[in-house]
Amino acid sequence: MRFIRAAGAEVLGLFVGDWLQTGVSIAIIALGWLVLSRVHLEGLAFVVAVGLAAQLVYATTLEARQRARSDSH
Amino acid sequence: MYAQVLTFGAAFLGSAVESIEALTIVLAVGLTRGWRSPLYGTLVALISLAVLVVVFGQLIVTRVPESTLKLIIGTLIVLFGMRWLHKAVLRSAGVVAMHDEDKSYAKTVSEIEGHGAARQDWIGFTIALKGVFLEGLEVVFIVVAVGGTSGGLPIAVAGGLLAMVVVAAIGLVVRKPLARVPENTLKYAVGIILTTSFPRSVSQPSI
Repeated sequence: MRFIRAAGAEVLGLFVGDWLQTGVSIAIIALGWLVLSRVHLEGLAFVVAVGLAAQLVYATTLEARQRARSDSH
Repeated sequence: MYAQVLTFGAAFLGSAVESIEALTIVLAVGLTRGWRSPLYGTLVALISLAVLVVVFGQLIVTRVPESTLKLIIGTLIVLFGMRWLHKAVLRSAGVVAMHDEDKSYAKTVSEIEGHGAARQDWIGFTIALKGVFLEGLEVVFIVVAVGGTSGGLPIAVAGGLLAMVVVAAIGLVVRKPLARVPENTLKYAVGIILTTSFPRSVSQPSI
C-alpha cells in the first residue's frame, strides 16, 4: 500500500508542483480549447501559448522570491 | 521528419534523465551488497512496467475517444514540460540545489548500510525494484506524453528504450553514478520540446 501511494505521488509530482499554478495552467488550456473549438483562428493558439508562458514566468519568479526571503530569515 | 526527430529526441533525453536516476539506485545496491538481488529487482520492475503499459494502454485506447485523449495528453504534456522548465530555471538561478547523482548514491548507500547480509537479500531486491519501477513509470509517462498525440508513439518508444539501453551500457562500463551528465540542461531541452509541441494539439480541436 505504501509502495502504491509512493508511486502515485511520484507520478502526480511529474505534472503538479504547485496546485494553484497547475489550476491556472489547466484553466488557460481549457479556455483556449473551448474558444478555439468555436472560433477557428490559428493565431489564438499563440495567445494560449503566451498566457501559459506568462504564468510560468510569474510562478517561477514568485517561488524564487519566496525562497530568497525564507533563506534570509 | 522534423516532428519525428523532435519526438525521438524528447523521448530519448527525458528517458535518459530518469534512467540515470534508476541506475544510481541499482549501482548503490549492487556495489554495496552484491549484484544478484538488485538485478532481479530490476528485471521484476521492468516486467511489471511492461504488463502495466500493455494492459492500461489497451484499455485507454479502446475506451477513450480520440479527441478527448488528444486534449488530456496535450494538457499533460504541457504540465510536464512546464514543470521541468520551472525546476530547471530555479536550479540554474541557484535558488534550488542542482540534482546531484553522487549525493543520491551516497544517500541510498547509507539507507542500506547497517542491514545485515542475508541468504536472500530482500532489502537490495526491494530497493532496486522500487527505484527502477518508479523511475520506469516516469519513463513510460514521458514516452506516452511525447508520442501519444502526434502518431509518433513507436518513435517515442524507440527513443525511450534506446535511452535505457545506452544508460545501462554506460553504467556497466563506468560502474559509478553518472554525475557529470548535464541533467539540468537536458531538462531544459525536454521542457522546451514538450511545451512547444502543445500548440499543435490545441489548434486542431475535434469538438
